[in-house]
Amino acid sequence: MKKFLESRYLRLIILVSGIFATSHLALAQTQYVLSNDDLAFPFLTGVGFFTIGANGLPVFQEQVHTGTFGIGGGYFGMNRLAVLDSGTQQCVFASEALNAFIVGVDVSTLTVGGITSGSDTDAGTTNGIGMVMNGNYLYASFSDSNTIGTFAVQPGCSLTFIGDTSVIGFHGGVINGMALHGAMLITSYTDGSIESFTISGGTPISNGDEQLSTATVTSQDATYANAIDITKDGHYAIFGDTSTALSVEVSDISSGKLTKTTIYKSTASISSSNILLSPDETILYVVNTQGATVSALFFDKNSGKLSAGCTSGPLAGLSQNWSYLAGAVLMSQSGNGGGVYVAEFGTVSGIATVPLSFSGQKCSLREAKGSPTADPNTPGLLSIGSFPPRSF
Amino acid sequence: MRGMSKWVLAIAVCGFPFLKPMAQDCPARPATGTMVADPYSISSKGGALTAQFTLGHSVDSAGYTHFCYKYQAPGQVVEAPTLRVNPGDVINLNVIDGLTPDNSMKMDMGAPSSPPCGDGGAATINSTNVHFHGMNVPPVCHQDDVINTLIQPGSAGFQYNVHVPTTEPPGLYWYHPHVHGFTEFQVNGGAAGALIVNGMEKVRPEVAGLTERVFVIRQQYLVPWIPGPYELTLNYQTSFLAQFPVIDMKPGEKQFWRVANATLQDFLQLQVQVNGTAVPLEMIALDGYPLAQTRNQTTILVPPAGRAEFIVQAPSSGSAIFVTNAYSTGPTGNADIAATLATIQTTNTTASSHMPESTPPTADGVKFRNFAMQPATTQRKLYFSEEFGGTNGPIQFYITVDGQKQKVFEPNEQPVITTKVGAIEDWTVENRALETHAFHIHQIHFRVLEIDGKPAANTDLRDTIEIPYWEGKGPYHSVKLRMDFSDPTTAGTFLFHCHILLHEDLGMMHKILVTP
Repeated sequence: MKKFLESRYLRLIILVSGIFATSHLALAQTQYVLSNDDLAFPFLTGVGFFTIGANGLPVFQEQVHTGTFGIGGGYFGMNRLAVLDSGTQQCVFASEALNAFIVGVDVSTLTVGGITSGSDTDAGTTNGIGMVMNGNYLYASFSDSNTIGTFAVQPGCSLTFIGDTSVIGFHGGVINGMALHGAMLITSYTDGSIESFTISGGTPISNGDEQLSTATVTSQDATYANAIDITKDGHYAIFGDTSTALSVEVSDISSGKLTKTTIYKSTASISSSNILLSPDETILYVVNTQGATVSALFFDKNSGKLSAGCTSGPLAGLSQNWSYLAGAVLMSQSGNGGGVYVAEFGTVSGIATVPLSFSGQKCSLREAKGSPTADPNTPGLLSIGSFPPRSF
Repeated sequence: MRGMSKWVLAIAVCGFPFLKPMAQDCPARPATGTMVADPYSISSKGGALTAQFTLGHSVDSAGYTHFCYKYQAPGQVVEAPTLRVNPGDVINLNVIDGLTPDNSMKMDMGAPSSPPCGDGGAATINSTNVHFHGMNVPPVCHQDDVINTLIQPGSAGFQYNVHVPTTEPPGLYWYHPHVHGFTEFQVNGGAAGALIVNGMEKVRPEVAGLTERVFVIRQQYLVPWIPGPYELTLNYQTSFLAQFPVIDMKPGEKQFWRVANATLQDFLQLQVQVNGTAVPLEMIALDGYPLAQTRNQTTILVPPAGRAEFIVQAPSSGSAIFVTNAYSTGPTGNADIAATLATIQTTNTTASSHMPESTPPTADGVKFRNFAMQPATTQRKLYFSEEFGGTNGPIQFYITVDGQKQKVFEPNEQPVITTKVGAIEDWTVENRALETHAFHIHQIHFRVLEIDGKPAANTDLRDTIEIPYWEGKGPYHSVKLRMDFSDPTTAGTFLFHCHILLHEDLGMMHKILVTP
């Protein structure tokens, strides 16, 4: 054996393999901003891959065709992309709402891995299919059938459907946002309900804590929870509200169940359907879906409290090119995230770049020069993703 | 926003019954590219206008849904005739719901909790009633109540006895169905007509002796509530490619045009263009109320449900066009596209059509003339706002009294504003949405005091006014309006709302109670 290892041939093999592995790894670790090009029939949809230019703006590289169809719209708070960077495989899963397919794309080869569907009744043709995942399972929220499909992650960026869990809001609401942490999955519904599930066994089992969010019950702005994020330690769940104001709610989930949410609101902008915690959890980015702005709120991960931060001006192209802001991803996967990339939904969709800066304790969000970057493949961009994903 | 939520709701709840072939019981529409005729006109006699309308329904060969008010004129059935009355008259209008009950359409909006007026029952797409838009008449059963009045298919009909005040301003009003949840369906492409209170020439002598034209601009979508292309029609005549309705004028002739915006949601920017240049239009009245002074404008913005009355002078030779320019209703609004409404051709053979003689003006003068001089007894702030959970909904459209919880209109709701006869109120109405809205209140006209916090250049009396969308920064656009509830006939419960009919149907509306 030793003799073999010392052979010139073996050393050559190891060297070549090492170079190959290194280059493969380098390709896989390229930072991407991803788009779910949610084209409606008859246009085949796909996943757009953007690299980051020297100026920080996304640069379109290519679209991986998924061979399926989208719907070109839907709920703001749904993530139509789920990213896996497990160490053994790097995948992007895109939901294709018209066909109710979930398509896996191998990030290292930019090729389609598996195409999977749920049950025959799973459907999201009206408002889309949201997704969240961990290393073992992907959960898909089908907004028409009001079901959560559980899929087991398989090699080759493919999935195996396990089963459905039927869900419904307190007043008949439709499933909207989802987030997971450890053995807990949290959902929001369009009637203002929120609910948590245990996913330790794979398939979600309700924790019996479904409730209307505090804002839904008390706010004068007729608010309801939409997108969800969870702190790294699983102590707090944060809800971005669809609202006529900027409204965010926080629930202490350290008990393993949802508790009554605390409302944080401001008239600085309109709606907060998409939110995102920074990697260091000091900043909560809020996409003011209808207000055409992005806000950064200061978050205290120890107390779960939010405080006023800063709000950008209206992003460029409002009204002319796009009507709504939608999903967001971090510009950096470390520190305060450095700002966000934001999807712009309209006839000319694009990805806005909104860096965060500080002057002392005062923050500032300003859209970068040259922003937005046009997405050439979709007129209706709602969901973007990042590879590698945030660590939690 | 012509969002898809209503479409989704309709599909989910009803399927596609409105796409099925249906009875073709509306009168034929005029051919494209022909001379525009004024609507058939019915005038009051001996202090009363008596007529019977039957609501019908058709789908034309292009697939456009039409609802229609049918009237049996001598020798022909006509559609949505112009009602002409004098101040002090009574409108005795019997309305029959001639729609075929369609049991496949399960969607209904429930029944009002107040004592029903008319047939009662649940409000469905087949129910109807009539709102006399802009008329300063009582909000009571058999007059201008739309909260509790329902006319159902198969019933003998419902009798309106609308008492036009002796002080009613002369001008152009209009009538249309107003069943909550279904107004857009029935107004789409059809069920709307002009109502004229005679006497404009007594108040604005400039129009005396001029040929009068009555133009009702309607809008039709292939299927109401489904986003998509639409058509504007002029007195039911469509345009197609380069073929437009034709308006005849003598060279250099001045005509008095009375134009009603009976569209679902189009903000019209009207112009008459000669060789591509907009010519001055001599403004006479807005929303059925004569202006304090005539003024020249080259563009007249008429929000949905608004009316404009103005003098047009034909070119000395050649032709002109009557157009609406494109209008931005904001990022979440619909694009109101530019359109040629008609070509104006000049010919010496044009027939003249003068306004009917009206009764002499009464000693009472014209309502609301002086109320702006009186101090307001109450100040209120209201605002429009919208909430989108996604591109396809759920979408909530709100009009809210500041300080109250935002909610959409429910037929059984309590009034959100209570005031009393004699009150003079100033309402500041803001638009906090990224879409332009059109504020309308039933039963009264209001005076425009301020626009965006500054004194209005023209303190006109209106019943509908546009409030532009918020640009995402800076203060909200707003109007300050003086409301006069001093007339005892305003006592009762009535509505204020956005007159983009989708918004109204989805609940951007509330009740006001005026106590005696």
